[in-house]
Amino acid sequence: MLKADNIASPQQYYISLFLLWTLIALLLLRYFQLQILNFDQYSEKANTNRIRKVTMSAPRGLILDRNGNILVDNLPTYILNAIPGELSNKNHTFQFISKNIGIDSLLVSKNFKKYYRGRFISTRLAKDLSFDQISRLEENRLDIKGVYYQKFPERSFPSKINASHILGYVKEVDKGIRNTLIDPNNYELGDIIGWSGLERMYEKSLKGKHGIQFYQVDAYGREVGFIDDFPPRDPEPGKNIVTTIDADVQKTLEEVMKDKRGVIIVGIPETGEILGAVSMPDFRPDLFTGRILEKDWISILNHPDKPLVNRFNQGLYPPGSIVKMITQSVLLDNIDFDPDAKQKCEGSYQFGDRVFGCWNINGHGSVDLTNAILLSCDIFFYKTIKYYDFDTLARFFSLFGFGEITGIDILGESRGIVPTTEYMNNRYGRFGWSKGSLLNYCIGQGEVLVTPMQVFNYTNLLATQGKTQNPHFVQNDEKLNKHIIELPKKTWDRILYDMEQVIINKNGTGKAANLLLTDVQTFGKTGTAENPHGNDHAWFIGWAKYFDKNFSIVILLENSGSGGSIAAPIAKEVLLGLIHKNRPL
Amino acid sequence: MLRFSFFKEVPLKILWSILFLSFLGLIVLKSISKHHQGYFLETPFTKQLIFLIPAISIMIMILFIPRYTIHKFAYPFYVLGIVSVILPFLGSPHSGTYRWLDLGLPFAIQTSEFAKVFTILALARYLSDHTLQMKQFASIIVPLVLVLIPTTLVMNQPDLGTSIVMMSPILPMLYWAGSRPFYLFLIIAPFLSMLTAFHTLSFTIWAISLGVIIILSRSTLIMAVSLFFGNVFLGLLSPYVWNTLTPYQQNRILTFLNPEKDPLGAAYQIIQSKTAIGSGGLFGKGWGEGTQTHLKFLPVQESDFILSVIGEEMGFVTIAITLLVISYFITQIVKYSYLSKDRFSSLALIGIATIFLAHVFVNTAMTVGLIPVKGLPFPFISAGGSFLITSYIMVGLVLKLSVNYTD
Repeated sequence: MLKADNIASPQQYYISLFLLWTLIALLLLRYFQLQILNFDQYSEKANTNRIRKVTMSAPRGLILDRNGNILVDNLPTYILNAIPGELSNKNHTFQFISKNIGIDSLLVSKNFKKYYRGRFISTRLAKDLSFDQISRLEENRLDIKGVYYQKFPERSFPSKINASHILGYVKEVDKGIRNTLIDPNNYELGDIIGWSGLERMYEKSLKGKHGIQFYQVDAYGREVGFIDDFPPRDPEPGKNIVTTIDADVQKTLEEVMKDKRGVIIVGIPETGEILGAVSMPDFRPDLFTGRILEKDWISILNHPDKPLVNRFNQGLYPPGSIVKMITQSVLLDNIDFDPDAKQKCEGSYQFGDRVFGCWNINGHGSVDLTNAILLSCDIFFYKTIKYYDFDTLARFFSLFGFGEITGIDILGESRGIVPTTEYMNNRYGRFGWSKGSLLNYCIGQGEVLVTPMQVFNYTNLLATQGKTQNPHFVQNDEKLNKHIIELPKKTWDRILYDMEQVIINKNGTGKAANLLLTDVQTFGKTGTAENPHGNDHAWFIGWAKYFDKNFSIVILLENSGSGGSIAAPIAKEVLLGLIHKNRPL
Repeated sequence: MLRFSFFKEVPLKILWSILFLSFLGLIVLKSISKHHQGYFLETPFTKQLIFLIPAISIMIMILFIPRYTIHKFAYPFYVLGIVSVILPFLGSPHSGTYRWLDLGLPFAIQTSEFAKVFTILALARYLSDHTLQMKQFASIIVPLVLVLIPTTLVMNQPDLGTSIVMMSPILPMLYWAGSRPFYLFLIIAPFLSMLTAFHTLSFTIWAISLGVIIILSRSTLIMAVSLFFGNVFLGLLSPYVWNTLTPYQQNRILTFLNPEKDPLGAAYQIIQSKTAIGSGGLFGKGWGEGTQTHLKFLPVQESDFILSVIGEEMGFVTIAITLLVISYFITQIVKYSYLSKDRFSSLALIGIATIFLAHVFVNTAMTVGLIPVKGLPFPFISAGGSFLITSYIMVGLVLKLSVNYTD
């Protein structure tokens, strides 16, 4: 039966070979395309395929007070991560974890959803775990396959002070925050970033640099070792910053301001260093670390007194009489003004069709410039407005730093308002305001608005006769600007004399701030600022001179009455404390 | 009785090419086995080495079987082949398929591999025994049925790759036996009609080409008209039939035809395979240095994707050599088929050549994403006992049938 002859023709033979080699050529071309033409592309792909980058958080720099006390520290906490692809039974694992470390298993699965980015990417399950909790899990290693822990430095506040508006707070970087960053590549999701206060201002120094470890992983996401061509980089801890704050002073300030609403700032006039600053009400500094209960957080958020607002930086207040030294220097600047001239104060003053009253409705009688300051007589200043105009006064306000940011190293500073004729024209129209506004302006009322930090800078200028430095919280020589005002020595002497009289004269409005110490000279000025939102704000500014040391102080108490009776006694208490602290034993 | 001169005529030169490929396969399997955890005898390398012993023995045994015996037992073996692909359905499925026959041996047998060879021999016998009027269309019906029986069974195992390979020799063998290419075209035409029907432009072009070919074939008017409209109607009908299927059924069919639709399965494999190959470059990363391979990114690397391992570790150079060597081997088989004196040998050889080419093309094209993933091994290189033995059986047949003598 094998007799049938082969009938294949040469044509059939060659067509078959042609088809065979066409198919093979097609395959060869495709391999050539992948291996030679697209080599770079696939090479890179192969590398990213097998390399897992694990970042290690760098501990943030510490924040210290001027004496080296730690104000902000890092608490070594642990975070618990899972590799989703390695979890055999998710729900069972989550329940096991929550049972062992005592957290709600709902929270665990909520976190898992929130941080999930891929089957083989570490996903956070829980944070702020203690070593104790981790060890309990570690004992049951076998039951929680695919779950790992990692050290995570969390912010903590070991000192006795709050200093909440100075230190500020940090936030956890989420997708939303990361998109708004200028340098998103320096941040991983879950990192912490300075969000306010010094934490934000000095973010660059405090942050440090991530450590990076490259693991070789197999297709199942299991780490199988390090990679030689990619050496690990150790985390670089952030730099510590040393503040000008004195924790003891800050503590005192927080105590005297307890249950009050307002600001107190204490510092060194020559350098602009701030020893302590409080904006009340404040909040616990660990509010944002996630260890606080949600209801506490809500209560702070909805508090009518707005504890989150940084009053010394952002609060805008009418300054009242504390700026009378500016008006004084304007007067003294005019050669037509007689420094010894007296004006009669009857308790009120008719200007055009309006009556302007002195704070003392009975009148101060005959007052000279010194008396006008120490009694804080308004009528004296009303009666001398002929010696200057609106814009000259505005120029002197600007000279003393009002209407401009002080450059304090906490972001979000307000500028305040120093009205000029241009400002008034814009706001009320050319004929919508009258010269009567100048009467308000010269005693620190009306449109002028200032921040307590500007007032602190102003106080420092007065105390140093115009030679201070910008107020600041952190020693940093590069950034400091000298703030210098050139006024005749005569003017400075007069201002100093008058401001001392405010304290030591028996009629002085600031006599409640008299330290009554023979080796200490005290200067000051009170203010009782009327405001449209309620009771008067009480102001006190001043400084104490103890040999070659000066301590300046600014106090603002919102809606609490007169500066002389409310603010001055507090100034005394604080300044006394400072002197005692510096007095040799 | 075999004469001594027979052995002098055996084309041993083709043995060099398969020895080269087998050796290359062992080298690659050794690399893969480097990080293999488990018993030494269970590594792909050792297993392959062990299976080479029966494979080569059977190849040599075939040389001693008289040609008429092969011809005589072609049908019984064909039936045996069909039974062997039915048997797995009686047992329990291996990972959801009925491809493997468990005879209580330490390994299971993929019977469809052997059935492939038996089908070719049966086909060769049928086409050579009957002095058929191959110019007539009716003559191709029996061969078609011969192939479709085992093919349908294998497709239901399910094993689309093997069934495609099993079906592939029919066209070249009919062509070789003298069928009019026009009739072969008619076999393919209904499939093309159905496939192109889902794309208006393709269907238009197809309908025009169909018409032109029918006119050129000089068929009778009635024949031409019924062929043309039969195909067009089939085409027009198929989208309608398709739409009557439930989405679930549609998906089953789509996933069956194109497993890449399942992104975590086949698409992942293709991406990893292309990455491994592409990152190998001209000379590769070096033996045992393939990161994709050894970090297990590359799936089924010892069989379906073994070419990707070669591509990654030994580069384009080795891939090119491999493809050229296997093409040389197939070319030689085609040549002996052409030179063969008797029709049975000639048809068996062209069938075997087609099987090898189908394996090479489907496997290679799959590793580089030219066609959907089909689980098919590369001849002589991929690990797998049943296919290795089948390949050597086919080599034995090639050596046997390529020698022209009368006995």
